[in-house]
Amino acid sequence: MSHAIRKEALRALVGSWLAEGKRVAGPVAVGPGRVLYQPLVSPERLLLDGFIRTVNSIKAFVFPRHEELYAYRFRGRQVELIDAPLPEEEQIVIGARPCDAAALPVLDHVFRWGTPDRSYERRRELTTVVTLACREYDDHCFCTSLDSGPRDERGSDVLLVEIDEETYEVVWLTSKGKDLFVRHTERADRKGTIGTGPKRKFDAAALERFLAENFESPVWETFALRCLGCGACAYDCPTCHCFDIVDEGDRHGGMRVRNWDSCQFALFTLHASGHNPRTAQAQRIRQRIYHKFRIYPDKFGDTLCTGCGNCSRGCPVHLGIRPVLEAISALERKPQSAPPKTP
Amino acid sequence: MIEALRELARRLLAEERVRVVIGYGQSSPQGPVHPLFITRAEDAEQLVWNRQCFSNLTAYLTRKDVRALGPAAVVVKGCDERTITVLEKEAQLERERVFVVGMVCEGMGDPGLPKCQVCDRHRPRLADETLGEAVDREVPALERYAALEAFLARPAEQRMAYWQEELARCVKCYACRQVCPLCYCERCIVDKNRPAVIDTSATLKGNFAWHITRAFHLAGRCVACGECARVCPVGIDLTLLNQSLARAAEEAYGFRAGEDPRVEPLVGSWSPQDREDFIR
Repeated sequence: MSHAIRKEALRALVGSWLAEGKRVAGPVAVGPGRVLYQPLVSPERLLLDGFIRTVNSIKAFVFPRHEELYAYRFRGRQVELIDAPLPEEEQIVIGARPCDAAALPVLDHVFRWGTPDRSYERRRELTTVVTLACREYDDHCFCTSLDSGPRDERGSDVLLVEIDEETYEVVWLTSKGKDLFVRHTERADRKGTIGTGPKRKFDAAALERFLAENFESPVWETFALRCLGCGACAYDCPTCHCFDIVDEGDRHGGMRVRNWDSCQFALFTLHASGHNPRTAQAQRIRQRIYHKFRIYPDKFGDTLCTGCGNCSRGCPVHLGIRPVLEAISALERKPQSAPPKTP
Repeated sequence: MIEALRELARRLLAEERVRVVIGYGQSSPQGPVHPLFITRAEDAEQLVWNRQCFSNLTAYLTRKDVRALGPAAVVVKGCDERTITVLEKEAQLERERVFVVGMVCEGMGDPGLPKCQVCDRHRPRLADETLGEAVDREVPALERYAALEAFLARPAEQRMAYWQEELARCVKCYACRQVCPLCYCERCIVDKNRPAVIDTSATLKGNFAWHITRAFHLAGRCVACGECARVCPVGIDLTLLNQSLARAAEEAYGFRAGEDPRVEPLVGSWSPQDREDFIR
């Protein structure tokens, strides 16, 4: 026996959450073929199928692109500091993909490491993630190459798995998730089923071997000319979490804020002295791969990538993680071969 | 046309007229088309030409690492070649160091992009060699600005609400800037932090400041290649902003950026006949 909810009942349930004044976010179409996680204003706008993945990720709901840390005010020769209020509102993210939800425990490592990040911590507590297992994949998906898959439960509070065109199986994974659904499901004698996910695109073990020995390698140059150096890959990524802290204000005072940042920007590593340790895009691409597949695993025992493929899907020139890892995989298979194809 | 293109690239590289050919490639027949850099004549067969060649490749001409390779050939469509004129006029490239391969274009995408629907330059005019045959279609100015006209016909409050909704999605990934062939500033104003001029925050204030400043910096320069809007991950139609300034330049001065290499750039030239007196 399992728990199930009819799709129309789910939509009605979302409507009731909104009516109770809860903050709910989910996939919303913002243009032809473009779906983004957005705060929902009505349950009708919630999109549960007909697309592979949203352009953005759910990380914005626990790690917003812009966050006020504290305000400062000049009072004569004194500076007054005013803490920004911590978030208080509960929020529900519905229709997350497993590759989005699985990124949350990955983000936890860094935000809970050392001095815990209070606002991140609070947002995590206040957020309930209702994930929808994937039935469809595209060429960019590579979760299965990283030991994840279309019904990965990590990071989710509830997993919805389609039983048929009208019904989802409801699998609650935490008490927070159970509380949301427990009085709204019916008994079902069928379970949701889905496929095995996208085919494996590269060999993670080969990648590990390669990174151990190839900090200097022509492969990093392979895509450097093509890369435009924008931050679309990092900002669409569920696991990228680099940020910049800046003061914005005037002579009376202002705000210290935390904004998303990307290692693909030339400015990212520019020192105040004018020195820049990463002057070339090849070094920046290498950094992104090393951070995700060597530095982070070494430090936290977890991969800083869930295989969602958003970095490629959103890339203006169709780069991202997968093409680089495929090129590395190809090199590992044929160690004696010629240098990689012209980018 | 593909064969002619590959043959030309092969010849240019073999004769060492250029060191790199910037064209289009495709990792698989169904895969997306992407910019491709060919440095060896034998790799020329990787070049493709089809209705998915969206990128304006002239953006790479001003990049340090591409320049370091030596003289370049670049594959352009009619819309793209206008940026070469602007770059040349702004002293950003030496025209004789670039071999321009013009491709006759029937439009990109299926159905064509909005810019292709109103294109009046299917056949490049300024290329060193042009491949393909087609006749240009005259597009009256009104038609080119039809989408803008329709937008401007809406009441001001509605337009403001539109921009507030659209720009609220901007995360400042700067794909619009990085893909733009005319955003070649070594240090963009939004990256200046001593002092900071524009908030780096992706708030409504910071986003308005960024996009308005960028549109103004492109006034009289933007050639409407539309790359900024095409690559925007969150689907903001930035061409509306750029088009409104382009139309102002066209209406007030009969100027269209990149249209005629003999005409001096609008912002960067003056005339004693100007109807404003401050210039005299």
